[in-house]
Amino acid sequence: MPEMTRSRRTLVVKWVLLVLIAFSLVLPLAWMALSGFKRDSDVLKSPFSLLPEVWQWQNYTAMFHDSPYMTAVGLTMLGALIFTGLSLVVNSMAAYVFARLDFGLKRYFWVFCIMPMFVPGMSILITSFVVVSKLHMLNTLAVLIVPGVAAAGQMFFMRQFFLAMPIAVEDAARIDGCSRWTIFLRIFVPNSTAVFVVVGITSYMAYWNAYVWPILTISNPTLQQIMPVLANFVDDRGPQYGQLMAASTLAALPTIVLLLVFQRYIVAGVRLSGIK
Amino acid sequence: MTPEPMKGSDMKAPATEAATHRERQGSVTAKLGETAPPAREKRAGSREERRTAYLMLAPMMVLLAIFVIWPLIFAFRQSMYQGNFYKPPVFVGLDFYKYVLTDPGFYQSLKVGAYYAVIVVPGGMLIALLIASFIKTLGSRMASFMKTTVYLPTVVSAVIASVLFKIIYADQGLANWVLSLINVAPKNFLGSPTMVIPAVAVPGIWLGLGITTLIMLAGLLDIPDSYIESAQLDGAGFLKRTWYITLPLLRNVLLYLFVTGIVAAFQEFLLPLLIANGGPVNASTTPNLYIFNQFRAATPYAMTFSITASLLLFIVLGTVSALVFRLIRSEKAVDA
Repeated sequence: MPEMTRSRRTLVVKWVLLVLIAFSLVLPLAWMALSGFKRDSDVLKSPFSLLPEVWQWQNYTAMFHDSPYMTAVGLTMLGALIFTGLSLVVNSMAAYVFARLDFGLKRYFWVFCIMPMFVPGMSILITSFVVVSKLHMLNTLAVLIVPGVAAAGQMFFMRQFFLAMPIAVEDAARIDGCSRWTIFLRIFVPNSTAVFVVVGITSYMAYWNAYVWPILTISNPTLQQIMPVLANFVDDRGPQYGQLMAASTLAALPTIVLLLVFQRYIVAGVRLSGIK
Repeated sequence: MTPEPMKGSDMKAPATEAATHRERQGSVTAKLGETAPPAREKRAGSREERRTAYLMLAPMMVLLAIFVIWPLIFAFRQSMYQGNFYKPPVFVGLDFYKYVLTDPGFYQSLKVGAYYAVIVVPGGMLIALLIASFIKTLGSRMASFMKTTVYLPTVVSAVIASVLFKIIYADQGLANWVLSLINVAPKNFLGSPTMVIPAVAVPGIWLGLGITTLIMLAGLLDIPDSYIESAQLDGAGFLKRTWYITLPLLRNVLLYLFVTGIVAAFQEFLLPLLIANGGPVNASTTPNLYIFNQFRAATPYAMTFSITASLLLFIVLGTVSALVFRLIRSEKAVDA
């Protein structure tokens, strides 16, 4: 009997802690989403209140009718999808080669492909800009997509996963005369859902959340990406806090939805990418 | 450029991996050799294999060559030429390295970067350790709920976090409301040179907490339960267990998180740029923000100066992390 009450007590303590931690982590986001429903004057008002006094649905509906904003959302989504697809194809092929194939220059190619992981974006930001402008890529969708597709970190992550795949099935397929392409497409790709999901979402997020590269390379107003548009929103419509919060909430939504849908894979993926 | 949230985990020797791999390949070809004339089959197979390898690698190599390696080499070359888009470049050798290294603004930005990193990394790691220890005690359903919740801020972009925290730090924002609860007078967080970096560090910690916590949790779960249980039987409380058992066993994980964290925090520039615009009076101008501002200033020397400064930063941070990872690796070898 006393044992039961004790375990009950720890359970209650755990629940309280759980709610407290979860609440404080999510509070900024929740406040943002709820402030999207507030009147501009109510967003910054003391005493503080989480819930709006008057629910201003029009803050959100106005964003849906704001054509520059929605164009940016659509274009960024399109770019992110193409980017994700390309990065999965390019990085997984390279990862497979480094995990399973053998050739004379492999070691040098490996150093070449893995070195970029240690090059900070800022060191090559300016010269990358010069390179893409010499290639006449400025103000195109390509400049946003192509330069980031090959990513050493993503490739490394996929290779670690491929290395751990059992080799027996592959041996059998080889004896049956399957080519390396068949093995890659029929055995590796279908059995790597987890790693493809994690890399895919990371790529999508990287593209969706990009800010510096788009502001450098895109000046054409019809090609604006969502994060620069949102950052400009602050300057253009500063005091319209309600709408600003609604716009931010909508811009955060796609990546949050992706996380919630694929949470199982992502949480496991972080473990995989640990230092082991 | 596109960030890589899943920074590759280490510099684990490609050489050793390749060696074990070669053994596997050997066994495959040996098996094939039993069914067919060995020499011909083997040569044909390996030529075919080489062709496939080059084909599959081609897109990766070409893209990296154009968009990473070329810009990097170009940057090193450009750091020795003074000029910009409009004037023909003049060779100046290593002069700009001297300018950067004697520039007080650069040193000031290094100090700001160090201050930021010293708050964000240990602070974030401490919170992550506490949350991870808590998650470890939970049942699987509560644990998976907590893991997702902790990861939630990670998917939010720095731009959105900046917009949000700028309002949170406003005179009547959330932060001052929390202060009012404990009877502290409202503060002008972003207008004070002493408070701006801690203020920017809060969203920094918030955004990075998810990955740190999950990696730490993975490390905690690797510690055999028997160690913890025997300590518990000996009457060690949570703090003692953490100090004498958990932390020493987590050493490599902690070192990894610390170094990658410091390197990343030192390079942070979006949050200070968007929340405080580097101010007040450069109090939140981190090294990369300083470099970015130099570039934007578009003076005749701007391009060479900012390229040189970013390369110096890259060399220093790259060397530090390479050394530390070498250290982790050698210690691992000793343990095993």
